[in-house]
Amino acid sequence: MISWDEISVPMELPEVVDEITYQRVVMNSGSTWDYFPGHFDPTYAESQGHPTIFVNTMHLAGFADRIATDWAGPDSRVVRRKMRLAGSIYAGDTMVGRGRVVAKRCATTVDAPRYLLDVQIEVTNQRGELCCPVELTLQLPG
Amino acid sequence: MIGVASEPRTAGTVVSAARIQMFAATVQDGNRSYWDADFAVRTWGGLVAPPALLMGWLTPLPWEPGGRPPVSAIAIRVPLPGTTFINAANEAEFPLPVVEGDRLTIVEEVVSISPEKQTKLGVGHFVETMDTFTRQDGAVVATNRNTLFRFTPAGSS
Repeated sequence: MISWDEISVPMELPEVVDEITYQRVVMNSGSTWDYFPGHFDPTYAESQGHPTIFVNTMHLAGFADRIATDWAGPDSRVVRRKMRLAGSIYAGDTMVGRGRVVAKRCATTVDAPRYLLDVQIEVTNQRGELCCPVELTLQLPG
Repeated sequence: MIGVASEPRTAGTVVSAARIQMFAATVQDGNRSYWDADFAVRTWGGLVAPPALLMGWLTPLPWEPGGRPPVSAIAIRVPLPGTTFINAANEAEFPLPVVEGDRLTIVEEVVSISPEKQTKLGVGHFVETMDTFTRQDGAVVATNRNTLFRFTPAGSS
């Protein structure tokens, strides 16, 4: 957990490495109810030109959120996330997430000031290929 | 179909701890907001729905009693020639946290459909949609702009 005053811009977040097994990919369908066969059926995935099954958008989004909130603490909250699915993360791949704080701003609202951080995250695979660039805004308690 | 908001569709079940934690286990996220009820109630008013699971609350189960066909997302319902699809981009905003016990309702809208495009995966159309999620008191908790590529894989006919 980090306090608002300790944050300077730019600031690197700790790298997060996550090995994606077949079980993890299949858990996508179980947890998100996304039963698109590309997430559980290797034969289908291959018929669509993929080497095997791959994680869904919600899993990639959750990985990005985890990188941000593991660092900022459980009383922080993701208020915006923009992501591009540039390449797929397949069963057997390793996901690597690297984030950095690129802006720190205090937004004035009618209620109370909102303490916001803009974070850029790059999710790559074990070959260093960029699979998912993410822009994310975190709200901190202040 | 473009620019026309769908009828509101309400989730069959409320946001539950079981699904929150199943998703957190999928992502291996130990955030106390998902696991520690005392902390979460004190901080947020309840165990928090992971923002990344947003679309999951309105994804129908693949089977429903009575043989009712599950209602798929509007981007899939648009008539287009592609035989499969893959997600291309997503942008979500979360004005308010969603917590255990909330029941979400979605209104979907097709924003645009691209001309036919050739990509490394195949030939198809990009379908941009905008979803608005409200909770039981009518407050907007999230908006979700998504771009889905509806295509026929290269090499298949």
